[in-house]
Amino acid sequence: MEIDKMENRKDVGREGGEEELSDSFVCCVCLDLIYKPIVLSCGHISCFWCVHKSMDALRESHCPICRHPYYHFPTICQMLHFLLLKMYPVAYKRRELQTLEEEKKSGFYSPQLKADACGTQAKFLYPGSSSSCSIITADSNSCPTSSFSNGKESSAHPEQSGPASHKNDEDTIYSEHTSGATTVSVGTLSPPVEGKSFPQSEQHGQQKISVADLMCAACKQLLFNPVGLNCGHVYCEACILTSTDEMLRCQVCHSPHPRGYPKVCLELDHFLEEKFPEEYARQRDTVQLRQIKVKPESASSCLLVTGSEGENQVGWWSDPQSKVHIGVGCDFCGMFPIIGDRYRCKDCKEKIGFDLCGDCHSSRSKLPGRFNQQHTSEHQFELVETNIIRNIMMRLVTGQLEDGSTVPLENLELISEENPLFDDGEDDQHGAGATDQNL
Amino acid sequence: MIDFARVQKELQECSRDVEGSGIRVSPKSDNLSCLIGTIPGPLGTPYEGGVFQIDITLPDGYPFEPPKMQFATKVWHPNISSQSGAICLDILKDQWSPALTLKTALLSVQALLSAPQPDDPQDAVVAQQYNRDYQTFVGTARYWTETFAMRSALGVEEKVQKLVEMGFPEALVKSTLEAVGGDENLALERLCS
Repeated sequence: MEIDKMENRKDVGREGGEEELSDSFVCCVCLDLIYKPIVLSCGHISCFWCVHKSMDALRESHCPICRHPYYHFPTICQMLHFLLLKMYPVAYKRRELQTLEEEKKSGFYSPQLKADACGTQAKFLYPGSSSSCSIITADSNSCPTSSFSNGKESSAHPEQSGPASHKNDEDTIYSEHTSGATTVSVGTLSPPVEGKSFPQSEQHGQQKISVADLMCAACKQLLFNPVGLNCGHVYCEACILTSTDEMLRCQVCHSPHPRGYPKVCLELDHFLEEKFPEEYARQRDTVQLRQIKVKPESASSCLLVTGSEGENQVGWWSDPQSKVHIGVGCDFCGMFPIIGDRYRCKDCKEKIGFDLCGDCHSSRSKLPGRFNQQHTSEHQFELVETNIIRNIMMRLVTGQLEDGSTVPLENLELISEENPLFDDGEDDQHGAGATDQNL
Repeated sequence: MIDFARVQKELQECSRDVEGSGIRVSPKSDNLSCLIGTIPGPLGTPYEGGVFQIDITLPDGYPFEPPKMQFATKVWHPNISSQSGAICLDILKDQWSPALTLKTALLSVQALLSAPQPDDPQDAVVAQQYNRDYQTFVGTARYWTETFAMRSALGVEEKVQKLVEMGFPEALVKSTLEAVGGDENLALERLCS
């Protein structure tokens, strides 16, 4: 059945010379080629901005396809990003330009990804200004997919290369596997395009996807039953199972994965089976052989929240005093909206701002922002109070507060004294202008 | 800001499957934010044989906000206002998901026609009749379908017939009629020009 689906390709591209896209990689929201893919914990894939715009600024968000609830905005899956770039260079380039155009209009930027020494591990880039945004920047002649042996490129902010979630010794392991990997051609490659419109076309025209493009971050084999973690790394389902009750953590970047185990990304799984039938079958046999004895029951319900709010988070809307920062998300764990303490960076100049939840602030995360903010560890944070009055108003309006009379009046007065509604410029930025944009 | 690229794709996809689904969506004007949808009444219901037109207005946030849909054709149904045509359907309200499309939303409206939910009514009078006197409800719904949903459909067929007899190809006649909103004189003018 999946084969039928693969063959039933439809021509989504509008411009001439564009590749035909597989249904597997068409975003369910924009109905175009997925750009900067994000894998939700239910296994559905969508574009960075499509996911972000689909999220609810007030409460829990739901997957557009299956309505699976989630609270944390996942990071872009770089493996899929470079896979799509390799498979559909022309269409992906078009999507890049189109997205950049929209980003310029809105003033909010998505993270810039650049290939690192190994094809599927990339690091965040910090363009000097928000205008220099491109997947394939001038100095990255190490085309994301062309070379696995390339060293580190120069970065606009060299002192930032530290936090990249990537270890040197992995390069070696990686390239060993690469050399041995089978190469399978993809039938959907475009004929070469004029050099001017797409400088990398000659290389890309020859690009073939290989097992190395679709490897598990743990076992370094072809993915089998792939799952994407919140940090954007992809594993075989069997490779992340632990029998402990601890919160799932990425083995590469050690980021926590909130809310139990992710589900298999079926679109990607079908794709793997289609493209690499032999390796896929081999992997399946291997996994079945070492069948995990204990498959943990739907896992722990870790919510990445500390403090008193952590306990009653599930029903926060019924508690008028809980601190919900409407439309503001944590730049480390992705919690959106932030519930509990919120720390705002005083030094990040980007329109979108840089915020951390209490938990991530105390763990002193050094990860770059999720919207291309040039945040550094020297930046200072300040604790931001929620605008409780606006919270209550919003919840009254949206019918979340069942009984308005439960709002303690003295509390209201207290807050309005120390936090007058109309003087805080910083909150306006998040409130009026950027409620649904800011994370 | 409406994602017009997506709306375009939806229209293409919908027109590709008109034969299968019977559902049409066409823009009212050059502006893609006002559209008109057409659904055939489901078989085996009092709405069978009728063709129902639905006014669609896309909000600025589409597809992250649901499209506004309202019956332009009068219809007798517990979940559709007999006065205004307002539809009571969860996916057009809080259960909307950006993965839904105009076509899938219209399919849901069509499904609503075959499966009324009198416990969650939009039109209390109709719902009361549905619960208390089902036979009368069926009769009224049938009468409304024949009166309001068939006349216009028959009319279109007749217009097409007339223009085809003048020697224009049928496909062209149909598309032209649709483009001018069913006005046969305007269609003739356009066909001759």
